[in-house]
Amino acid sequence: MHRVSKIVATGVATAALAASLTACGESSTEAGGADKGVGLAFDVGGRDDHSFNEAASRGVDKAGKELGVKSKLMTAKNGETEADREQRLSSLAEAGYNPVIGVGFNYGKSVNKVAKDYPKTTFGVVDSGATAKNVYGMVFAEHEGSYLAGVAAALKSKTHKVGFIGGVNNALIQKFQAGFEQGVRETDPSAKITSEYLYANDDKGFNDPAAAKGKAKGMLDAGIDVIYTAAGQSGNGSIETVAGKKGTWAIGVDSDQYLQPGLAQYKGSILTSVMKNVDVAVFDLVKSVKDKKPLTGDKLYTLKDNGVRLSTSGGFIDDIQAKLDAAKEKIASGQVKVGESPKK
Amino acid sequence: MAPAVELRGITKRFPGVVANHDIDITVRRGTVHALVGENGAGKSTLMKILYGMQKPDEGTIGIDGEQVSFHSPADAIARNIGMVHQHFMLADNLTVLENIVLGGEKLHGIGGRARAEIVKISDRYGLGVRPDVLVEDLGVADRQRVEILKVLYRGARTLILDEPTAVLVPQEVDALFDNLRELKAEGLTVIFISHKLGEVLSVADDITVIRRGTTVASVVPGETTPKQLAELMVGSELPSPQTRESTVTDVRMLEVEGLRLVTADAEGVRRTVLDEVSLTIHKGEVLGIAGVEGNGQAELVEAIMGMRHPDSGTVTLDGTDISHAATRTRREDGIGYIPEDRHRHGLLLEAPLWENRILGHVTERPNAKGRLLDLKAARADTERIVTEYDVRTPGIEVTAASLSGGNQQKLIVGREMSHHPKLLIAAHPTRGVDVGAQAQIWDQIRTARREGLAVLLISADLDELIGLSDCLRVMYRGRLVADADPATITPEELGSAMTGAASGHLTASGEAAHQEPRPSQEGESE
Amino acid sequence: MKKLDKNKLILGVAAPVLAIVAALAITSVIILATGKDPIHAYTVMADFGSKSDSQVWIVNKAIPYYLSALAVAIGFRMNLFNIGVDGQYRIAAFFAAVVGGALTLPGFLQIPLIIIVAMLVGSVWAGIAGLLKTTRGVSEVITTIMLNSIAAAVIGYFLQEGRLAQKDGNLFHTPNIPSSSHFFTIPTTPKPLDGFLVVAVIVGALYWFVLNRTRFGFDLRTVGQSESAAEASGVSVKRMVVTSMLLSGAAAGLIGMPTLLGVSYNYGTDFPIGIGFTGIAIALLGRNHPVGMAAGALLWGFLERTGTQLEFEDYQQEIVGVMQGVIVLCVVIAYELVRRYGLRLQQRQVGEELAAQARKTDKAEVSA
Repeated sequence: MHRVSKIVATGVATAALAASLTACGESSTEAGGADKGVGLAFDVGGRDDHSFNEAASRGVDKAGKELGVKSKLMTAKNGETEADREQRLSSLAEAGYNPVIGVGFNYGKSVNKVAKDYPKTTFGVVDSGATAKNVYGMVFAEHEGSYLAGVAAALKSKTHKVGFIGGVNNALIQKFQAGFEQGVRETDPSAKITSEYLYANDDKGFNDPAAAKGKAKGMLDAGIDVIYTAAGQSGNGSIETVAGKKGTWAIGVDSDQYLQPGLAQYKGSILTSVMKNVDVAVFDLVKSVKDKKPLTGDKLYTLKDNGVRLSTSGGFIDDIQAKLDAAKEKIASGQVKVGESPKK
Repeated sequence: MAPAVELRGITKRFPGVVANHDIDITVRRGTVHALVGENGAGKSTLMKILYGMQKPDEGTIGIDGEQVSFHSPADAIARNIGMVHQHFMLADNLTVLENIVLGGEKLHGIGGRARAEIVKISDRYGLGVRPDVLVEDLGVADRQRVEILKVLYRGARTLILDEPTAVLVPQEVDALFDNLRELKAEGLTVIFISHKLGEVLSVADDITVIRRGTTVASVVPGETTPKQLAELMVGSELPSPQTRESTVTDVRMLEVEGLRLVTADAEGVRRTVLDEVSLTIHKGEVLGIAGVEGNGQAELVEAIMGMRHPDSGTVTLDGTDISHAATRTRREDGIGYIPEDRHRHGLLLEAPLWENRILGHVTERPNAKGRLLDLKAARADTERIVTEYDVRTPGIEVTAASLSGGNQQKLIVGREMSHHPKLLIAAHPTRGVDVGAQAQIWDQIRTARREGLAVLLISADLDELIGLSDCLRVMYRGRLVADADPATITPEELGSAMTGAASGHLTASGEAAHQEPRPSQEGESE
Repeated sequence: MKKLDKNKLILGVAAPVLAIVAALAITSVIILATGKDPIHAYTVMADFGSKSDSQVWIVNKAIPYYLSALAVAIGFRMNLFNIGVDGQYRIAAFFAAVVGGALTLPGFLQIPLIIIVAMLVGSVWAGIAGLLKTTRGVSEVITTIMLNSIAAAVIGYFLQEGRLAQKDGNLFHTPNIPSSSHFFTIPTTPKPLDGFLVVAVIVGALYWFVLNRTRFGFDLRTVGQSESAAEASGVSVKRMVVTSMLLSGAAAGLIGMPTLLGVSYNYGTDFPIGIGFTGIAIALLGRNHPVGMAAGALLWGFLERTGTQLEFEDYQQEIVGVMQGVIVLCVVIAYELVRRYGLRLQQRQVGEELAAQARKTDKAEVSA
């Protein structure tokens, strides 16, 4: 038995090494494909997260309708490694998709790395910068949009207690928190702000609606009546919970969540959404490739140029629109500087 | 009248152990029918078949003249057969009432009706069961009566008692037999499994003898003597544990001084399990410890082995204080150990024999060289043990689980003796072992003793104790309460002391005498 | 005796074959249920998985999985369920990254230093569970799960700007380790193999040697098979629990090293998580055997590599996850079935052989 296992061990090891060292067999990258349209690699949560990913796919849908561009959408699993992401992106590039877009800052490294292997393909990454020359980095001033959400929350809160729920405590989501808190503070200095995160550093925070439900419930119980959730798909749980208590408001994120069919039954409780115009950015990139003038380098979408904005669907913030516009003006003019990191 | 139970041609094959073949038994209704045979003769298997716990490969079972096929104990219970197991199956933290109704709630509910029924049954058969006492407060004999009542409560008309006297002292045995006679008088049938001939002859109406898995004779007590019965049980030769000439020297090998151990159970109740235990074993001496199980023998052994840490007291081996040594050190220093429960403490059941040969002696030659194992030498030495100790196995690569109990035990004995221990602790060395292996193990203990080994022998088999020991101590509730000379003591007198009724030095007349060490038996002085 | 050996061999092969056949059958049914062609799926997987760059990818991916499986297996051989490998490798990699990022020693000093820090931190983290088990009797299953969360919280706390991390775009990560501390790679085409492969092979061999050829390994296996027998044989079970948790944690510390020293060069928000749980599946799959686990890790890598390709053929993304689950279940069940069958078979053979011997001697006696 032991001898057998030894033989097997040696055999397997030798075979594996020999195979790889001599690289026998054809490499998959030797194959190539035609221009098949846009390849979109989502972060966890997938297309139907009603939020971030959905915004990106709306851009692709629009490109499909207006430009006739086909597309392939793929979704990340929880707990992925760089290798998984690189593989997804290179598979898309390999299959002939152009541009190939990674949605989410997790794709930051992999997009830039894979881009070097496919110089003829244009890559895009949302929420992260470009280092390779054929990459278009789409970053957003989430803190500025969140500032307005803070203003709205402060104005709408009756209890003068507002809450922020972040999916994962990372630099990106901290921008949401920082802007929101600053907006609240500068509108209603007496308001009490509670900011919490679902996970310290686990991507699950973006697709764990149950965890968000729990956090939201806790905040409601503490008398908080406006909750801003920046947690991708998890935000649905928070919205659902808020909708269950009268006189409380949820603020959505990334997409106009009031309009989303999946959240239709809760829309009466969605005060507004901080929209990141990921769809616009994605569409711009697809169009540029289609027009053979591919965009590259970094692009910051700000409040000033409507890269981020507050949605008005439902009309719940119509009464405070003037104040919101004033706040927007101040930011646009540089009179108010919104911080990217929460005050400790 | 059809017989209560009729077994015809029952055959059960088992891997590697004594199975049943061609068993024929007829049990008349309203009688106590004894099933006798040596340990491992196949009695328990047979009763498990009758109780539906195992299915026979061949043969038929007839109950009240009707042929039946049991698939589970539930089928047997439905046929009014009940079984009282050797190991009681009671929940300690429940009351007697709760234990009895547990699983039989549909019969008489769990309240007043159940209580009335229990009291009624208890009175009718003179069981004297108190329904509201916690089982953990009951003694062994009381628990047994609860088990019997539990079976009767479920409507049993035929009771199987598996070695009911093994855990009882002689006085309790008499009380049990009175109960059995009551049951018989009420028309119930009792199947009584035992290997103690005296008991069987005193209580049974019919006796069936089983040897090597088959029925060899059916006899009536009035027409047979214990000697005849014994010869039927073991075949022609009667192995005897008698030790002949004394080999006791005056070199002290093991000295235990003032050992005290208090344990706390799950509920935090503290109990003194070893109470000032002191003993000395000399080279070439076998010291036997008698006592009803659960009186601290297991704890004493484990304390000497270093598996338990006594609260006070010292253990000295060959002049070296090993009170605080680790178990491994003690083994290396020369303690051989034949554990009471070989499956739990003596073997790795799913490991091959040669790994079992290493077990417990992994640091010693031939098993290891330095910090590495020496598999070749260990294997070779396993082959030697298998040959020398007559372990019946096709090879050393088979797992320990596939050997019969006797062969497993021979392997353990061989392993322990191979390291030339100074002290051998043998706890129930022949329990569950067939007659042939029993004789061999006794021989080996005797040989080792002649070569100057000190032996601590714990056994529930009083004949074994008296036959092998040079000197006897009685353990009761964690104390060594009495000592006796095996040359003169009888099992009955020893049994009496085991109940705590006698203390000091036991003389042949059974009287409790003063604790004066006799000069001829230095082994008893402390 | 020869007969037994032959059976053993057949049984040894039977379990994996049975498992693979069953897993393929179940997966095929599932794929059919989604309205797709299973045979085509397997063809796509086989084709894509055998490409040279896929081979490299699979081996690189399997390295941390294998290390993780080894860490889990050390516990399994002791009957300890170390669910905390996940937390152990993460916190180990984190502090190793912090140390690595703070120093600029020559590589031959710094690389071993980083690895040792990781192993120590992993050990300490696992050792907590071992100590709690031996001193307070808390099940290691519970403590290791809790320690996973605590590890995540600790990392979350320190992985912030101004603490132990720096901000880089939308990411936080620890300072990069100097390039002198990058681990070597084995050049192959088109992509290089991770040099940590060598470490993984060495650790696997060490695992086998220590378990099967040393006194310590025998003691460890004894505890795994029967705690009571181990205690009676002179093994200090408590010490063994702590020691094996420490070893398991040390092995867990290695899991993050291929990533830290070969891919990311820092511990950031995007550092892979969950490999500890994959390790449990692979340890089960490989029956705690060093070669079996290597095969399991490679199989896992293969499935992940080819799963993406299935998506291009319009198969559901989840198919691969289902396959992985089905395979583990099938392997566990198949091995248990074969083990029981083997045990019974052996007992029967022993019984038969002894009966045959007995008959022979009986006859001899009669004729004598």
